[in-house]
Amino acid sequence: MPEPEVDLSKTYDAVVIGSGAAGGMAAHVLTGKGLKVLLLEAGKKLPIEQELRSMEWPYDNANRGFLPPDSHSLNFNEYTIRRPPYGPGFEKSKHLHSYIGSGDYTKNIVVDERENPYTGTNYAWVRARCLGGKTNIWGRLALRLSDYDFKAKDRDGYGENWPISYSDLAPYYDKVDLYLGITGVKENLDYLPDSIFQRPTKLNCAEVTLKQGIQKMGRVLTQYRAGVTSDGLKHNKYRSRCYGRGACSRKGGCDIHAAFDSPTGLIYPAMDTGNLTLRPNSTVRELTVDPTTGKATGVHFIDSQTMKDYHVKARVVIVAASTLESARLLLLSKSRQHPNGLGNSSGHVGHNFCEHVMGPGITGRAKDLVGKPPTLDDGRPGGFYLTRFRNLKEKHPKFIRGYGFEGGSGSTMFPRGTDAPGFGAAFKEEVRKNHGAYVEMGGFGEVLARYENHVDLDPVVKDKWGIPALRFHYKFGDNERRMCEDMKETAKEMFEAAGFEILHVNDRMLTEGWSIHELGTARMGNDRKTSVLNQFEQSHDVKNLFVVDGSAFVNASCQNPTWTIMALCWRSCDYLVDEMKKGNL
Amino acid sequence: MSVRNPSDFRKEIDLRQDRRQWLKTSATLLGASVLPMPAESTEAAPQPQSTPKAPPRHAHETRSLARFFTPDQHALVDELTETIIPEDSHSGGAKAARVTDFIDKTLRETQDEDQKRTWKEGLPLIDSMSHHYNGKSFLDASPEERVAVLTVLSENERMAGLPEVKFFKDLKHLTVIGYYTSKVGIHDDLQYKGNRVLQEYVGCDDPAAAKT
Repeated sequence: MPEPEVDLSKTYDAVVIGSGAAGGMAAHVLTGKGLKVLLLEAGKKLPIEQELRSMEWPYDNANRGFLPPDSHSLNFNEYTIRRPPYGPGFEKSKHLHSYIGSGDYTKNIVVDERENPYTGTNYAWVRARCLGGKTNIWGRLALRLSDYDFKAKDRDGYGENWPISYSDLAPYYDKVDLYLGITGVKENLDYLPDSIFQRPTKLNCAEVTLKQGIQKMGRVLTQYRAGVTSDGLKHNKYRSRCYGRGACSRKGGCDIHAAFDSPTGLIYPAMDTGNLTLRPNSTVRELTVDPTTGKATGVHFIDSQTMKDYHVKARVVIVAASTLESARLLLLSKSRQHPNGLGNSSGHVGHNFCEHVMGPGITGRAKDLVGKPPTLDDGRPGGFYLTRFRNLKEKHPKFIRGYGFEGGSGSTMFPRGTDAPGFGAAFKEEVRKNHGAYVEMGGFGEVLARYENHVDLDPVVKDKWGIPALRFHYKFGDNERRMCEDMKETAKEMFEAAGFEILHVNDRMLTEGWSIHELGTARMGNDRKTSVLNQFEQSHDVKNLFVVDGSAFVNASCQNPTWTIMALCWRSCDYLVDEMKKGNL
Repeated sequence: MSVRNPSDFRKEIDLRQDRRQWLKTSATLLGASVLPMPAESTEAAPQPQSTPKAPPRHAHETRSLARFFTPDQHALVDELTETIIPEDSHSGGAKAARVTDFIDKTLRETQDEDQKRTWKEGLPLIDSMSHHYNGKSFLDASPEERVAVLTVLSENERMAGLPEVKFFKDLKHLTVIGYYTSKVGIHDDLQYKGNRVLQEYVGCDDPAAAKT
């Protein structure tokens, strides 16, 4: 379907590249302040409710909710034994997806790996090219960072501090909370600041048992802080409050938009201002600069379907294509003034690439719950978050920084425990009696930002649109390995403290990239020699270039990044408008 | 051959030794009753060479020529899946949940030729085993005799390289998926309470109170 004609002869106040959390937020803030904004999204505008079908029963789905048999999604083993690009070897499959594309509800949201190849070291790179990007299917855990993260170097000497403090960002976290809605419980933790929470969801029995069990160890388990509106949002007609319908744990999104997604939370309201022009199917291939001033002038993009090439002009260029795609775009935009890529005089674009390491985790059973009548346990956006406890007051001898656990308990639509041995009547009864008694959690740890962990452009491989592919040079290091060892041990000691029967302890690290929390490839900083952006995510080199997604992060912390991406972006866009009014851009 | 108690197998059976026996004897013993290979394509499926002893279980259905299983195989898979997840006093089993239809569709549509081969080889092997241990086909065997055959495989799951063990693992895997994504599995057996609109998630305020 051809895209509605967009007036490409005019100069927009701002062009925003990418429509996920960051691009949506930029569109929201800038259009709210009267700027005329063009939002370019590489993928389609999907009929998203038809994709997500949140309440469809598996037996009403042709493939029981799984991926159609003509398609394949990569699994851990394939990510481990193969090297990127992952396409070769799967020629028989009509579509090849990343691991997250294993369900019928995400298959059109995530990209086809073969159209979007990358090379280098192993990496499970999850990309969603469609309006809203990954916010359509995100895990919804919405956490704040603190000065334990922003000033981490002051605490352990490693890496760089952020050019901002928590107090700079706190008012913007508040704005994000109020505009988008978040549910949770106040805990008054200095390392995990509270949000302005709507009505919390409750923990279930095994989760309360775990919370009480670890209290004596000084550890904190709190309700999943979900970027979900539990009370509703009077100012947003596109989103409903959460009705606890369940099935939130399956890979997919929320078709009543109680969970935040960029289109209904940010983009549609921005369009209602009359100031936003949206063009999906627009793959940006290069940011253009004025040959005399070196300032950004606009972007070249390819219509993703017709392959026709366009150029559009803008006073400000805002890159929000996701951490790795944004770095790719800067590196692709080489010119006489910017021979290493746009905004890359520091040589740091693509470097200091960091994320969260996943894998170690535990499965146990709350014996008291075995054989109890079934209860509803998954009618809520998430289970629990067990907050960081390492390197807060005391220094751990083996590693720096910290990790938290995400987990949950109780019955789910597809039962836990079907991997029990045996078969027959006893097996069936065992599944029935036990499935509501399972408790699981998995760690998310900070991967240190290291200069040598980086991406660059592959000299040979190109994507479907002829754009050079990204090449990975990225590996976990010893700090991550030692942290994962500790995760396994502390998971065990906490389940023991709760009196759970431990069924399985996982100590295997998942493939790099598995957390889908890639960060840091265009970091902020006060020193333009070692950073790409200033504290307002503005390029040190090019005043009218902003990079407002996860690439601006200085470190990964161990908290999930989406809420921080949006708070930072809001702050940067406020600054952008002020600077524009002053004529400084 | 007398029926042995499944627990006896645990002590006595060396699968590698035993299978040599029944693989050797199966060809002569079984002759024409070895199940025909299923259709590879959507072309006309080969009809069973022997007359089925009983009418196909779902003979009333409009059978697509593209079915993976022949009617005989369908009947065998029905009993195999029911042996994995049987009907009990609480809820229906794999047959009530039409798990065989799910497995047929899965195998018909998969691009995993290895999986198709596993099933093509596995079904006749199961019958050979049943003849070896029970002196009759799997379909003719009693529920206890069927359990005895699958117990041999279940107890030897670590021998994943053997085609019949590989088959058993995939049989169990697909039966579990098919059953617990069915109406019978979700509603009758597990009595899943979710996927409906709630005013409030009940949760738990005091696990000690919930224990009583």
